[in-house]
Amino acid sequence: MTILSTKDLKKVYGSGESEVRALDGVNLTVEKGEFIAIVGTSGSGKSTLLHMLGGLDRPTSGSVTVDGKEIFTLKDEELTIFRRRKIGFIFQSYNLVPVLNVYENILLPVQLDGGTPDRAYIEDIIDTLGLTSKLNNLSNNLSGGQQQRVAIARALASKPAIILADEPTGNLDSKTSQDVLSLLKVTGQKFSQTIVMITHNEAIAQLADRIIRIEDGRIA
Amino acid sequence: MLIGIKDIAKLFAISVVTCCAAFVCTLFLNYNIDIVGIKDEITTPQGMVMYDAQVATGKVVAGIAGGCLVATTIVLLIFYVKNYIDSHGKELGILKALGYSDLSVAKHFWVFGVSVFAGAVIGYAAAALYMPTFYDIQNNMELFPQMKPEFHVSLVLYIIAFPTVFFMLLAVLYAFFKIKSPVLGLLRETQNVKFKVSKSDKGDFPFLTDLKKSTLKSRKILVFFVGFSAFCFSAMTQMSMSMDELASEAMSFMIISIGLILAFMTLFMSLTSVVKSNTKTIAMMKVFGYSQRECSGSILGGYRPISYVGFVIGTAYQYLLLRIMVDVVFADFENMPEFHFNFEALAISAVTFLAAYEMILYCYSKKISGQSVKSIMLE
Repeated sequence: MTILSTKDLKKVYGSGESEVRALDGVNLTVEKGEFIAIVGTSGSGKSTLLHMLGGLDRPTSGSVTVDGKEIFTLKDEELTIFRRRKIGFIFQSYNLVPVLNVYENILLPVQLDGGTPDRAYIEDIIDTLGLTSKLNNLSNNLSGGQQQRVAIARALASKPAIILADEPTGNLDSKTSQDVLSLLKVTGQKFSQTIVMITHNEAIAQLADRIIRIEDGRIA
Repeated sequence: MLIGIKDIAKLFAISVVTCCAAFVCTLFLNYNIDIVGIKDEITTPQGMVMYDAQVATGKVVAGIAGGCLVATTIVLLIFYVKNYIDSHGKELGILKALGYSDLSVAKHFWVFGVSVFAGAVIGYAAAALYMPTFYDIQNNMELFPQMKPEFHVSLVLYIIAFPTVFFMLLAVLYAFFKIKSPVLGLLRETQNVKFKVSKSDKGDFPFLTDLKKSTLKSRKILVFFVGFSAFCFSAMTQMSMSMDELASEAMSFMIISIGLILAFMTLFMSLTSVVKSNTKTIAMMKVFGYSQRECSGSILGGYRPISYVGFVIGTAYQYLLLRIMVDVVFADFENMPEFHFNFEALAISAVTFLAAYEMILYCYSKKISGQSVKSIMLE
């Protein structure tokens, strides 16, 4: 079952001589439960693609469909709600809310909709990611690897249709990177999550089910 | 909670300004309401003239002090909210990326209004405590029948409740419009980078001159704040000293005290913001081999002319305001002292301003030069 697809996706910055084609007709399909790595050098367009997939930026032309919904037909407010319910994010710099503790950070996306958290499911995530003893810690008292594990738990908590990971190991050393990525893969499989990760690190990308290479805004 | 206690504690300045505004307004408006109540007991024509003069003075003092201080509070509050959003852009961006709507993020900013509430309550309470003494001074003049301070619920609403609600709404609304920018702009902390190169900018200036111009252009709000603080300093100190002849001794002392507190506080705050916003640039320049003098001159020196302009405008503003008060509001009253521009007050205010301005900047420059580049960059 296709959970995510793009059709002739283009993003152009500037015009005339200063025109930059960050994305130049990207067609992509991701099946439910897949773990995809998008690999490319700096400036290849991989971050732009991820931002489009997550509805954080609008394309110049083309479409993105997530869980059967063409997301750029939605108005800003509708897109915000859609993102809240269907898309989980893992950022390179963890981006946890520093005034909240680990548990509150994990529950954050669930509580956004005013829903009751699925305690058993969330405790399972916390246990799988080895965060049980850290639940009351403020996020900025944790190491980089621990913070990224909290970010993974946060992304999983709302049971989104897809999880988008933007260089999730970019700020971590190689050993911690491998640990975190292994946990991401394990939890993704355990909870049947679709994960799209961008990275410039080939070794990290090898852990994914499928690798997509992007060059000059096109899939190579 | 999105905004921590530490962030709210930084709003101390707003509480002080609000406290002063609430103190002055409570005192004079309460007296005015009470004096209206005894109007029928005043039988002599001379008494009625004094009554009209007292009511007009109360309204003018409350209006000017309240109005000026409310304007100062608005500027301070907007400055703080903007600073908070600028320095926490990434966190706010995450919340938006996670699916928080603009309004649901912005509504957390109501807590900025707590500082107004705290200041207003303290100011009101201080006025209530001082009121018996204030009434005794007025009673001793024997201009009117003896009065005792009465409690008026309407003043609690006008001085505490309404301003608190107004400033809470202002903080939420301003935050709402500020964070309406795209999520990516917030995440990359580039939402405020709007740099236009005009034709006049293309001139071939020396690097330090170019840097000075760019620093000022990239921080327009800070430039405004520096000018505004110089304006406040000039207006408050000179007005306080000039009112010496127009008001009673107790009132003059109170006005001068409040004026000086606010003048020094706004100036200190604006210069602290100037230094904090530019510390990293100065540290980088030191890495490139520029001397402390060149760093301070090109980065901090750019704000000096702005502050002078603010000071001049403040001087003109306070003179016009007092002129209007004497010529229009008190036009019909006899025995009003002649009002002239107070050159002595100008001289004292200018010297104090220059000394305070240079002293604060000198202390900060010393502090920066004592810090390592690494510690500055890690802040």
